[in-house]
Amino acid sequence: MTNLNINGRNMSVEAANDTPLLWVIREQLQMTGTKFGCGAGLCGACTVHLNGEAVRSCQTSVSDAVGKKITTIEGLSAKGDHPLQKAWIAEQVPQCGYCQSGQIMQAASLLSKNSNPTKEEVVAHMDGNLCRCMTYSRIQKAIMRAAADMRTASATGSERRPT
Amino acid sequence: MNTHVKTPHGIQADLSRRSFLVGTAATGLVLGYAAVPGIDQALAAPSNFEPSVWYAIAPDGLVTVTCGKADMGQHIASTMAQIVAEELGASWKDMRVQLASNDPKFNDPVLGAQITGGSWSTMMNFDAMGRAGAAGRLALTEAAAAAMGVPAAELVVRDSTISHPKSKKSMSFADVVKSGKATKTFTPDDLKAIKLKTPDQYTMIGVSVPQLDIPSKTNGTAKYGIDVMLPGMLYGALVTPPVRYGATVKSVDDSAAKKVPGFVKAVTLDDKTATTTGWVVAVANTYSNARKAADALKIAYDGGPNAKLSSESLQTEARRLQALSDSGEYFVKDGDPNAAFGTAAKVLEAEYTTSINIHAPMEPMNATAEFKGDILHIYSGNQFATRSGAIAAGAAGLDPKYVVMHQMWLGGGFGRRLDADMMVPAVQAAKATGKPVKVIYTRENDMTMDFSRPLTLQKVKAGLDGDGKLVALSHDVVSAWPTQRWGIPDFLSPSVDKKGPLDAFTVNGADFFYTVPNHYVRAIKNEMAHNATPSGQLRSVAPGWTFWAIESMVDEIAHATGKDPALFRVELLDGKGKNDGGAQRLRNTLLAAMGLAGYGTKKLPKGEAMGVACVSSQERATASWTACVAHVAVAPSGEVTVKKLTVATDVGTQVHPDNIRAQVEGAALWGMSLALFEKATLKDGGIEQTNFDTYTPLRMSQMPEVTVNIIANGEKATGVGEPAVTVVAPAIGNAVFNAVGARVRALPITADAVKAAMKA
Repeated sequence: MTNLNINGRNMSVEAANDTPLLWVIREQLQMTGTKFGCGAGLCGACTVHLNGEAVRSCQTSVSDAVGKKITTIEGLSAKGDHPLQKAWIAEQVPQCGYCQSGQIMQAASLLSKNSNPTKEEVVAHMDGNLCRCMTYSRIQKAIMRAAADMRTASATGSERRPT
Repeated sequence: MNTHVKTPHGIQADLSRRSFLVGTAATGLVLGYAAVPGIDQALAAPSNFEPSVWYAIAPDGLVTVTCGKADMGQHIASTMAQIVAEELGASWKDMRVQLASNDPKFNDPVLGAQITGGSWSTMMNFDAMGRAGAAGRLALTEAAAAAMGVPAAELVVRDSTISHPKSKKSMSFADVVKSGKATKTFTPDDLKAIKLKTPDQYTMIGVSVPQLDIPSKTNGTAKYGIDVMLPGMLYGALVTPPVRYGATVKSVDDSAAKKVPGFVKAVTLDDKTATTTGWVVAVANTYSNARKAADALKIAYDGGPNAKLSSESLQTEARRLQALSDSGEYFVKDGDPNAAFGTAAKVLEAEYTTSINIHAPMEPMNATAEFKGDILHIYSGNQFATRSGAIAAGAAGLDPKYVVMHQMWLGGGFGRRLDADMMVPAVQAAKATGKPVKVIYTRENDMTMDFSRPLTLQKVKAGLDGDGKLVALSHDVVSAWPTQRWGIPDFLSPSVDKKGPLDAFTVNGADFFYTVPNHYVRAIKNEMAHNATPSGQLRSVAPGWTFWAIESMVDEIAHATGKDPALFRVELLDGKGKNDGGAQRLRNTLLAAMGLAGYGTKKLPKGEAMGVACVSSQERATASWTACVAHVAVAPSGEVTVKKLTVATDVGTQVHPDNIRAQVEGAALWGMSLALFEKATLKDGGIEQTNFDTYTPLRMSQMPEVTVNIIANGEKATGVGEPAVTVVAPAIGNAVFNAVGARVRALPITADAVKAAMKA
């Protein structure tokens, strides 16, 4: 038995230590929002947070996640209303949508540290996440929109904070 | 004209009491299946013909549209709902979508099959969805009129409400459906007689409503094929051979695999559909264990007849075939170019090539199969349910009528999911284990077993008269034939020289709208490539390579005669004879793109230039008129940086402007990615690139500025998913020449090739 803390809940799973976290999340915990893309850390579709840091869950063994807070797209916000998720809808970003959980999780780890990124910082942070539909310009716009919304919210004293 | 484009017929409708239904159906094409032995009846007519349903209105007023098209990010389900909603008079907030099964009643009303591709969906379903929507409105209105005791003609339908302004009475759609009084039925003639709205009456078409599928794609809830979970399900991991096609398994040693916990068995595929060769699937209780077991299998192969082939050998064979005067079949045969070359003042000749390219959608191929009673259930996102269901049936040894295809959202399609290879391991593993099995390809399986864009070789010869006028053009296209591989005669086209059917999906686009009195286009099948690299339809298919050749050569001719390449195109687009209409639209689009880009007006630094191209993709009969001005900077090293792509496209009527912009931008970036970054190679019969480290689609840091300009001039709606793919590579190639005088004729354009051409 391996104990994991995922999206704020403690859960135990049965998996060999070297099992990629990705497959444990998808199959055992049946949270399928995190996607398999390349199995080699080259595309970013499987991005989740470990203690708030974006990691590729296909390259993270389940044993490496023990004792850390795992956050997936399902746990990014209570109601799918993280500023990035709202911005993704406002900018109508997704096409096929398959990479977008990973894109949003990757972007969230940037905005949690830097709520006023430059375009260059966004590109540098996001360049490991492939989008085969090539929605990159909308991803950029949505990140900028979410960042602006978060700055406004914090300026007006709202309690919303990125995870 | 391609034979698969047919007019709709056989429309029927049905209304039921409780949940009110209106629909249209078409009789299916009889799709032959001669190429695959053993399943000749695979694509036979529907077993139970029922009047089909495109949408239902529930008693709560929600309108659920069933989309018979694969939704791979083009938001086609939402688009269908939008067209229905326009004529129905429904409020957008009441619209829902669901994806159709492979029941033939959901066949495309024009194509008579369930297939999604060709940028056909909107243009071919616009009328049927509109009529279905209008029929619903008429039926609801009639029922409401009776209930209110007022003349139907005095009712106004808007936002899911039917109101009578004079008496101020009104009923919601939900009220009418609940009343059970909507019972009007429509014959095919009734439907045909319905007067649809004129564009000035539209309130929904032309509006960028929120796409219905997008929220689920921001919170992880959208279900793709890979997300399917069935009770008691096992997982299958593939071992594919080192040779792309033609290998056989000699032996499988599973002794090490047996030590993997959860391992169930290894199944060597016996694929009578010949879709796959030499595949083994390892089945286990989890995917990780299946993968470990697959990696532990020791498999011996016979590499088969293609095991020594390489990209170079396919190219050499293509050159040999092109040089033969009697190879191939004619797609276009106007006048006599060969005679004209004899009297021409100037003759230009050039060879253009494109490499093998891989679809690589982000969701790797997968399928889940379950035998339940007499029925084989398949869960997979697929673009061609009609054929893929038949392949699944063939893999199971069943009649196709016992196969139910459960459509899922597609994590990218781009033509890859027209194929059905993923059905075979899932079906045979499920059969062998007696349990539902989900097979997931690794990225390596996905790339090396892609039904790729074929390697192509094109020879173009042009003859000019003494005034520099283009009087003759001959164009040979040598490639594998992706669509012939389907074995469906209706998707082939007769050759003009009556030598038999040809695969127009290798030459579409070559029948351009330029006026050239003597013009030949020859489609030559590269049998060696066809066998070694079974090819597929990659976003834009033939126009992705034919326009690379044509639009490069037109530029070369212009430069040879000292003319501006853009203005030379305008001259050629004179709209004479058969080109009347299309040529003018393409000319206008080109001029629009030139104006928007500042072509010829901006002073650019040394090493920078603009280049143009214009295309009538996808097919002559289904064109979206598209032009691109590419602005590039070329470094002394030969490295090309695209600074800006200006794309203009005439789509006739736009249903959803924002979606069109998204599709055109994505398509243009695909074009750029294929032009500069994507190249696959064959060595020892196998694809050498296995993951995104060696096959490298465009990333965010490589994005140029892109401006998309939509021309909506009231003509019929055309498709937008693909055409912009085809215009970008020649625009970039032409810009590179304008910048540094380097003419590159091979895709992708590499820094080395540019540098070599600069020196030459």
